[in-house]
Parts: sequence; structure tokens; C-alpha cells
Amino acid sequence: MAERLSRPAAGVLAALVAVPLLALVVRAFADEWRAPALVPQQFGLRGVEVAFSGSSGEAFGNSLVVALAAAALALLLAWPAARVLGERRLRHPAPVFLLLAMPLLVPSYAVGTGLTEWFIRLDLDGTLPALVAGHLTFVLPYVILVLLSGFGPRLTALEEVAQVNGLSPLRRMLWVTLPAAAPTVGAAALIGFLVSWSDYGTSLAVGGGRPMLPVVLLPFVGADPQVAATLALLFLAPAVAVLALAVRAGRMPL
Amino acid sequence: MTGARWRSGARDAALLTPALAVLALLFGGAIVGVTRVSLIPLGQNASLDAWRDLFGDPLFGDAVVFTLRTALISTTLAALVALGLALAAQRRGTLVRSLLALPVPVPHLLVATVAVVWLAPGGLADRILGGLPVTLVRDSGGLGIVLVYVYKEAPFLLLLVLAALGRGHQESDEAAAALGVTPLQRLRWVTWPTVRSPLVVGSIVVFAFALGAFEVPLAVGPSYPPTIAEYARQATQGDLISGQSTAAATLLLSAAGSIALAALAVRAARDPQGG
Amino acid sequence: MNGYELDCRDLSVSPGGSPVLRELSLTISAGSRTALVGPSGAGKTTLLRAISGLAPIETGAILLGGEPIHHRAVHRRAIAVVFQEPRLLPHLDVQDNVALALRAAGVGRSERRRLAGAQLEEVGLGGRAKQRVQGLSGGEQQRVALARALCADPRLLLLDEPLAALDPNRRAALRRVIVELQQRRRLTTVIVTHDHSEAAELGQQIALMLEGRIVQHDEPRALFERPVSAAVARFFGVANLIPEGSDTLAIRPEHVRLSRDGGLRGTVVEAVYAGDHVRVAIDSDGRRLHAHVAPPDAPRAGEQVGVILPDEHLWRLPSGPSGEAAEVADG
Repeated sequence: MAERLSRPAAGVLAALVAVPLLALVVRAFADEWRAPALVPQQFGLRGVEVAFSGSSGEAFGNSLVVALAAAALALLLAWPAARVLGERRLRHPAPVFLLLAMPLLVPSYAVGTGLTEWFIRLDLDGTLPALVAGHLTFVLPYVILVLLSGFGPRLTALEEVAQVNGLSPLRRMLWVTLPAAAPTVGAAALIGFLVSWSDYGTSLAVGGGRPMLPVVLLPFVGADPQVAATLALLFLAPAVAVLALAVRAGRMPL
Repeated sequence: MTGARWRSGARDAALLTPALAVLALLFGGAIVGVTRVSLIPLGQNASLDAWRDLFGDPLFGDAVVFTLRTALISTTLAALVALGLALAAQRRGTLVRSLLALPVPVPHLLVATVAVVWLAPGGLADRILGGLPVTLVRDSGGLGIVLVYVYKEAPFLLLLVLAALGRGHQESDEAAAALGVTPLQRLRWVTWPTVRSPLVVGSIVVFAFALGAFEVPLAVGPSYPPTIAEYARQATQGDLISGQSTAAATLLLSAAGSIALAALAVRAARDPQGG
Repeated sequence: MNGYELDCRDLSVSPGGSPVLRELSLTISAGSRTALVGPSGAGKTTLLRAISGLAPIETGAILLGGEPIHHRAVHRRAIAVVFQEPRLLPHLDVQDNVALALRAAGVGRSERRRLAGAQLEEVGLGGRAKQRVQGLSGGEQQRVALARALCADPRLLLLDEPLAALDPNRRAALRRVIVELQQRRRLTTVIVTHDHSEAAELGQQIALMLEGRIVQHDEPRALFERPVSAAVARFFGVANLIPEGSDTLAIRPEHVRLSRDGGLRGTVVEAVYAGDHVRVAIDSDGRRLHAHVAPPDAPRAGEQVGVILPDEHLWRLPSGPSGEAAEVADG
């Protein structure tokens, strides 16, 4: 069908994706790669050494913990709110959506700077909980917006079936609601994680020196491309994992 | 009988409260914090000095112009590319669509890194082609910034547009064509009304992000002029006391600007005469 | 299996604010099969939702087998519902869908799969137990929904327009399945439909609902041939309502005879071929009369005919609040 015609197009696109990535991998392991050579003069692990001699390992860990915590916390808070919004139970939903939209419009560096004021007063500046709170400011709206698309007449119809089949509220939640909403919950968790993982502004402002991966990576770009490429691959890892999971679950939104 | 309805309204409010309260606390706190610092420098009395300095600084003016320009160009290009790709891809299978959506989960900084490896002077493209005709990275115009933003944001907008087109658009388009409507007319009367709303909303989000983010310009942009966010950061490296206030004032202005521009764009999008 | 009687008393339900059921009373005898009919918006679905507990009631009571159930939660009423859409759980296969209520009741896995399998056999889907629900056709999905409802061993079975989404052939097949299963179990059953001829086939009794109230509840023949009001008459296709003094006489178009001479004289205004009969409209003495005539005997528009209304088929509408004696139905 249309799938057959698009093989060459798919091939071109796949190349466009794979080739830059390949270059990144090569760059990461090229100790010496002077212009105008197309192949590195010398391969080596200098990039890895320099990268991990600093705070990159810690930064990776911090970013991971913060992203997981922010996504999980956001899901818990978002679930009841997304039910109400997704099932259109509000007479005047506009103010709620306004509150959800504003953190997404405002620069994350601004949010981080503003919150740091309070964190300093509370002696929380630079701690992981402070970073999670800072990230939550924009992770929560994203998670709510994605999650609410999973609720609505379709899910309600299934829950009514569960009711008339004699399932208690707890069983309804475990046997019907959660499995049926699982794809949307997964998508919301993924997006929440990615948004936090990629964030630079709030991590810079609230971090107060606690290393976060994007903040550690930036100075190397331009200054030392090999180390930058190494760190970039590290930075890429969760995104690739996310993609692999999504493709396997057949969840690519189109 | 309103008893049952009142109770369910109260229940809904209770369900919404945790998320909204946390959000209001965090976001409200951030705005209040930034306002406070801008008006009350560390250990001093409240004053509008920071604001006055800000508006008097020509560097700030340059930063605003530069940031607005790159954000506007990036968003417009990304939207156009997304629209074009959507129309081309709507007949294609999931494989093509999935590949097109690939950049979406990739962090901006990563794309910027790849851009530097490839497109910088001395980068791979330079070596393969034996010399780039145009400086793409760290150029004074910010072309590198635009390229990275378009590469990242066009697929995001593409997803929104494709979702809006759905299954029904192709059928409406064919029906119109069978009635003798030209392709250009179909674009205006069939396609655009379908995609207008999500494209505008998505573009607002993209624009707001470009306005306030600074990791991409730091990686691939020129050192002068800085973006608004970078201007704020540089201010914090300067004078320890007044610098914080200047930074805060800058960021507050940037935040207010984003929200105001978004409100204007939403109003313009709702206006039936507009686009 | 003993049936349970359903008794609804003075139910008032106002979903979304506006009243839909207005002090509705309805008694369904144990083990019987009743069709609930009415135009869209009459409140049939609302009544079903109220009985099953999915919609709260404002006033009134619901008793099943003599016990009040209107205060019980939905999952404690022992009522099974088959909705208009199959509503199968997409993440479970066919047999796990069917066995859902058994699982809720704590029945062990092998036992409930055995019972589910038997139930699937009864609806004609034996052997499909392990299939995913996405691969089934609409008719098959509705049968699975029916099997699921029966597997719950309910005291009352409610079906809300279960055939509406199916094409005519599947509809006939599923009708037979429903009737057979109900007869075998003597399960008290209420089937909602907006099609009056389907109601006659599905129901031992028919209850007609208009504007939130039950207007007539009787054997099908009674609603078709002895309607209690002009509104009921109109719904069941009694197109001829003739005022006589302070009364109204009603007669079905199928029972009207046309002749060359004799009877009321009139002119044929319209004769429309409808496959198995011709719909004839006649203007007689300023009055519009309708007849369904076999195609070979049908007159043509413009002809003069005589209209005969046989006494044995004439029905005098009861006068009174539901009589609406002075109304005449027009084509």
C-alpha cells in the first residue's frame, strides 16, 4: 500500500537519523581528529576519561533521580486532576488550563531563579528535593495535559461494565481502570521524565552547584568536542531507551 | 435537586486540589520570588534601581531584539516545515511518521552538540563538502540557533498537525477536489481551518520556549548579542548585589512578555478574520 | 431457576438537572421478557441506568424479588446490563471478559474458564475463548457481551438497544439467541428498543414509555390493536384515528379494505410502493385515511375508491386524560 511506496523515503529519513548519531559516536572515541581528514587519526578513550574524571557520573545520577522523582510525583498529583478534566466535569475549565499553561510559557530559568529565593531561605538551596520541586513546576502541567486524554467516555463506559459485573471500587481500579489507562499513563510518565531530563534553566538556577547533566555538558560544546560527544551520548541514553520502549509497545502516537 | 450536584462539584474540587495547589504554590512562589528579588536587592531597601538600569542598558535592548528575532524566525520556519511535512506524510505509513517524530524526545542540547560536530567550521560537513558557503554555527545572525530549533520543534508541531488532520481530512480534501476546488483553495478552505488551532497553540509553546531558553544559543549561537536569559545569567556573575536584582528583573520581564504574547496570539487565533 | 419480580415505584430521575423520569411506575413479573419502547429521548436508557444504579434516583423505590435495592451500590445489585456498545475490556481475551463477574466473586481460574466456555457455547461462540476481542465483528462482540452478562448469574437482565449497531441479518440472529436464552433460564429480562416491530418479537409484554412515564404496558397485540391513547396509537403505526362524537375510533391501515363501490367514498391522494405492500392515502369527506394494500390490488393516485372499516378491527380509544379523544392523526 502506501507503506511500499514510502520505503525509499523511510530509508532516507533513517539515514538522516543514523548518520549524525554515528558521527557522534565516532567523535566521542576520536582522540585526534584534525581537519580536513574524514576519519580520525587516532581513536582512544580520552573522552571517556576526562568526562568521568569530573562530576559527570554524579551529574548523570542526579539528573536521573530528579527526573524519575519528578515524573512519579507528577503522576500521583495529576491522576485525580486529569480524571476531572478529561471527563469534562468542570463548568468553567478555562482558569484551570490557564494555570496549567503558564509554567510552560515562562522561561524555566525564571522559574528556577524565583524558587531559589525561597529555597535559600529554607536552607534547601542546591538539594535534590529542591531540584525535584523546581522541575515539578513544569513537569506537572505536561503530565496533566497528556494524562487527561486517557480519561473520558470510553474509559467511563468500561468502568460501568465493571460495576454491573459486581466489581468493588478497588477491583475496578486494579482490573479495569489501570490496565485500560496504561498506555496514556506510560506516555505521560515518558514525557514527564524527558522534560525534566532535558531541562537546563531550572537545573542551573536551583542546582546551586549540584551537577546536573545538561549543565555539565554545555561548557564542553565548542571547547572540547570529544568530551562533549561522550557526554552527549550519555545524555542521549534515556531518550533512546524511551524510544525503544515506545516502539515496542506500539505506542508511537501515529 | 441540587444536593447531588453540589456534592459531586465539591468532590471534583477536592480531586483537583492537590495538583492545582502544588502548581499554584510552586509557580506563584517563583513569580513572587523573582519579583521580590528584582525590587529588593540583597540586604537593601526596596527600589526600582534594577529596573531602571535594565531599561537603560543598550545591551539589554540588543538582547531583546536578538532573542525575539531568532524566536520568531525559528517558530515560523518550524511551523511551515511541519505543515509541509504533514501534508506530505499524511498518506504515508507509520514507519515514516515515526521516523519524522524521532527528534521529539531528544534534548535540545543534544541536537546542538550534534550540530556543532557537523556544521561548525571544521566540522564534518565542512570537511566533506570542502568548505561551507555559509557560517552555520556561531554566526552573528544566529542561523545555527534557528537550525537547531527548527530541527527540534518542527517534528513536535508535526505531531500536533498530524493528530488534527486525522483520518477525516483526506476525505474532505478529496471531496473538495472532486467539486473542482483548486489545490491552493483547498489549502485555505479545507486544510488550514483543520490545523489552525493546534498549530497556533503549538507555535505559541515553541515561541515561548525559544524566548526563554538559553542552552542552544550558548552552544551554537554568537557570543554577542546574548539572549535574554543569557543576559540575566551574565548579570548574576557581575555585581553580587545588584546583579541578582537585574537578573530577576530581566527574567520577570521575559516571563510577563511570554504570557502577554501568548495571550495576544490566542486572541488573534480566535478572531475569525485572523489567518 | 426462579425468577425475580422487578417493581419500580414512582421513580423520579433528573440526570444533568432536567427531569427525565417523572414518578414512573413499572412492574415486571418474575421470569418474563419485556420490551421497553419509546421514542428517543423518552427516558428508556435513563430508566435502565436508574434500575442498575448507574444513575441516582431522586424519589421512589426499586424492588427486586421484593427486596429494595435502590440504596445499594451498583456492584451489589445482582443486575447484569448489556449496553448498546459491547464495551469489552480490550486488554483481556474473550473468555476472561466473559468470566469477569466470576472473578469478582472469587471463583477459581479453571472453574471460571470452564463456566465461561460453556456460556460462550450457548451464544454460539464456542471455540473463540482465547481470541483477542479486537478481532471480532460487531455481532460477535455483542454476543460476548451477552455471554458475560449471563455468566454473572444475575437476578435481572437489562439490555439497552443491544441490536442497534448491527445490520438486519445479524439482528435477526441475535434476537433469536436472546429469546432462546431467556426462555431457557426464565430470567427476568427487560430489553430496550425503539423499533416497535422488534419489540413485538422480543417481548412477551411491551411497555411504552412517553415523556418519562409508562403509558401502556400489555401484551404486544394490545398496543398494536387496542392502544389507550392517540400517542400510543401513533407510535405503533395505528395511522387512522377517526373522531366520532366525543370518542375516537382507531383502526390499523392493514385492516382497512378498499372496494370499487360501497363504503365511504374518497379519492386516492397518494399510493407509494413499499415492497410488500402499497401505502395508500385517501381523502374522504375532508378526512385523511390510510390503508396498506397488497400490490396487485392497489389503486392509483387520483382514483375514486370506497373505504370499508370492518367493525371487528375498529377500536374505541378510551376517553379521559390519556384519551385525547378529539385528536386526528394526519399523514
